[in-house]
Amino acid sequence: MAEQDWKTNKRAFAAVSLPTLLWVILFFLVPMTIVWLYSFGENRGLTEIDISGTLDNYKRATEWLYLTIFGKSFAVAALVTLICLIVGFPVTMAITFASEKWRPWLLLAIMLPFWTNLLIRTYALMMLLGTQGFANKGLGALWDGASWLKTLVGLQPLPTWEPVQLLFNNFAVVFGLVYVHLPFMVLPLYAALDRLDRSLIEASLDLGAGHFRTIMRIVVPLAAPGIVAGVMITLIPALGAYLTPDLMGGTDSQMIANVIERQFKKANDWPFGAALSFLLIYAMFALIAIQSMRKKVPEVH
Amino acid sequence: MDFNDLIKQTRGRRSLLQALGAAAVGISFGGLAACSKQGGKTLANGEEAKLNFYNWDTYIGENTLDNFKEATGVDVTMDLFDSNDVLFAKFKAGNPGYDVIVPSNDFVERMSKAGMLLPLDHSLIPNKRNIDPAYINVEYDLQRKFSMPYTWLALGIGYRKSKVSATPDSWKVLFDSPEYAGRIAWLSEAGDMFRLYGKYLGKSVNALTPADIATIERMMIKQKPNVKKFHEDDGQDLLLKGDCDVVLEYNGDIAQAMVEDKDIDFVIPKEGSQLNSDNLCIPKGAPHPKNAHAFINYILDANVDKHITETILYPTPNTAARKLMPDSYQNNPVIFPPAEALAKCEYARFDPELQPLYEEAFTRVRAA
Amino acid sequence: MALFARTPRAPLEYSRTLWMRLWVGVVMLFLYAPLIVLVIFSFNDSKRNVVWRGFTTKYYEKALGNDQLVEALLNSLTIAALATIVSLMLGAIAAVMLWRFRFPLKGAVDGTISLPIIVPEICLGVAFLMFFAAIGWPTDLVWPFNLGAITIAHITFCFPFVTMVVRSRLASFNREQEEAAKDLGASEWQVFRDVLIPHIKPALVAGALLSFTLSLDDFVITYFTSGPDTITFPVKVYSMVRFSVTPEVNAASTLLIIVTVILTFVALKLQGVKAIAETH
Repeated sequence: MAEQDWKTNKRAFAAVSLPTLLWVILFFLVPMTIVWLYSFGENRGLTEIDISGTLDNYKRATEWLYLTIFGKSFAVAALVTLICLIVGFPVTMAITFASEKWRPWLLLAIMLPFWTNLLIRTYALMMLLGTQGFANKGLGALWDGASWLKTLVGLQPLPTWEPVQLLFNNFAVVFGLVYVHLPFMVLPLYAALDRLDRSLIEASLDLGAGHFRTIMRIVVPLAAPGIVAGVMITLIPALGAYLTPDLMGGTDSQMIANVIERQFKKANDWPFGAALSFLLIYAMFALIAIQSMRKKVPEVH
Repeated sequence: MDFNDLIKQTRGRRSLLQALGAAAVGISFGGLAACSKQGGKTLANGEEAKLNFYNWDTYIGENTLDNFKEATGVDVTMDLFDSNDVLFAKFKAGNPGYDVIVPSNDFVERMSKAGMLLPLDHSLIPNKRNIDPAYINVEYDLQRKFSMPYTWLALGIGYRKSKVSATPDSWKVLFDSPEYAGRIAWLSEAGDMFRLYGKYLGKSVNALTPADIATIERMMIKQKPNVKKFHEDDGQDLLLKGDCDVVLEYNGDIAQAMVEDKDIDFVIPKEGSQLNSDNLCIPKGAPHPKNAHAFINYILDANVDKHITETILYPTPNTAARKLMPDSYQNNPVIFPPAEALAKCEYARFDPELQPLYEEAFTRVRAA
Repeated sequence: MALFARTPRAPLEYSRTLWMRLWVGVVMLFLYAPLIVLVIFSFNDSKRNVVWRGFTTKYYEKALGNDQLVEALLNSLTIAALATIVSLMLGAIAAVMLWRFRFPLKGAVDGTISLPIIVPEICLGVAFLMFFAAIGWPTDLVWPFNLGAITIAHITFCFPFVTMVVRSRLASFNREQEEAAKDLGASEWQVFRDVLIPHIKPALVAGALLSFTLSLDDFVITYFTSGPDTITFPVKVYSMVRFSVTPEVNAASTLLIIVTVILTFVALKLQGVKAIAETH
């Protein structure tokens, strides 16, 4: 998969690179530079920010308090991504190998919930998971049913049903984040699996490997670029999620994005918020850089 | 696959993009027709017949804006914001073109100190006389230089009568007691939380010292395991849903919840509490300041404010309007708490030294 | 692996195995349960919409009659459509640039293009706020140009997603096809149009769906880049939190879903349903 040197085809290169670079520089780098400069500044009065070149914000952002919050957010995001991958991979396989008639409708069916506003969906989810919510009512009904069965057999009934805390704790945060990010995993996986050469799978099956082994040994490596894209597209937004932890989390479910948001809003401390944001950005940037250097794509003939 | 197939496919793809493009253009034109802007009419006062109003959602009467247009010919467009912080953050870059905004009391102070507000011309607001004198000279805006009061609120404890052993008339129930462990909800606003803890410790809301903050932080961390959630102003929903039994909330919000559920009640704790007030202000750089004054004056009219209060059901500082409301509102002890309770309530002042300390301490509490 | 099909199942027809169907079924239930609750509660006769209090359709009438809500929906759909189209184009050519060419500072460019995904939304929102204020972007343009600032912001954070998805797809592209086309006399542009684009089509579809979703749902960045009279649906909903998450909002959301489904249905029919999800 040899890349071309740009000099060998300058016109084509210009055609694809100029619009991209122009847009990125003008509408992304310039605005971000403004905020980056803020991270070296301090508040002067209520609205002015003095770019004094101070490193105080970064020093404060690397205090143990904030590092633990960073770490916890990363752990939660990683867990969410893993769950999305495990849940999403079979779904994507089902879509990819479904008949041509069904495939676009299945894709649409996966995306449709995500065209509902996030806040409303979260409220609906909260309605399901609350102590008086449907999930608990359903579980309560099952519990009572089991209890009744026990009395039928002559055993002591089960103790009264105490609603399970499904909301306002870390479980709810993970659940909510998986719910929000599942399509971000499915779509890139689909785009990659779709290109898979079926004959390879058939060959493997013919040679006697079971389905599971075929999937692990053949499909997953070939779909690797898609998996990596899916993981990136899921992990990074999950790390930056603030609404779901805010609404569905308990008193110890603070994630880094919540802290950053508070700096820009309630605390009116834009320089510190900028410093925290940029620390997050540097860390993620490093991750992506490492990943792109290591990425090797298998040749498909 | 040969080139014929390829060409068929690309034609197909093109038609998809065309379809999407057509849909987008169709929507655009449809919308354009629906949302055509009126040509600028000029009024007697020299300004265009428009007003850009920046308000909380549904924080206005159902027909107020239409009635204003009938009365004066001014077309009001209302945009929405959901918290004072984002209002302030947005105005930090300059006034994006709004004429009237509705900040809360501590933000009136903040914005006036930052030079973001236009001083009001009281000669253009004769309906000021409808306002209860107690709300005219307030610490956050002496002589009402920059703002006119719109509503006021008091913080207190909302609770479910059937689930509490006794009326929770002390902050201890929320802040220092394991009695309702797992059924308590706090506000997620750092400043308010610290100030109310200060009230619990017997101090004024505006007299906390950094040493106090450290003490309070320890108390909060100790009580945190008993708290279920830090809510963002929807504590009444937690009560209604049955997720919590005692919540820290505003009296107006609980009054609205009480309409739906008779088992809910509200009390201002005996140590005293904090008052809040939403105000009408004109930001600097407003394109239609004269219209803005006329609008503020209009809202302070007794009948207009009565109509607004009927919709939002918050306590109003407008005595003339209050008299026009039904008894169930005027004498509602939740909406208008008794004078002894109010006497111990104070407005929170904006303190640029303490505010960042509150925020950082609260972040530590949340991470503990 | 159980094979409960009536007709013999071909080895690759995974979607006909029972456990696979169960899995997909459970996932669909998981995804749609809140939506079903949403739709049911849009008929709830209660102002605060927390507990069920009775059936009514009055909130649908209110939603349709609420000019501001309709305007917000319209604005959101317009912005999402425009942002998706431009993001697709920009994202696709960015992906081709990164995949095809070697050039100095490529690693840095690669990372920079991925940055909009990483930056916390509020940070990006504030950045755009200050940027548009600094360059004096006019705030009193006529519709639809007053949505310009918002659309630019949306495109900026949507196209990197398209780039990522398209790149992962390009990784499996067989360059011999490209070389064959060139041997047969096709120009660069023809190769791009007739060989590359069909190959990346599933990625384009996936990218379009992602962009549309991200744009439709964005609140923070939209809030900071919107001027007077540019209300969008998420902003309207988020500002309702303080007072009134009435069933009206549920009704409006249900209507939005129906509208989007109809639009997609129309697009699919015009396109020919098969071609969207075709494999090679």
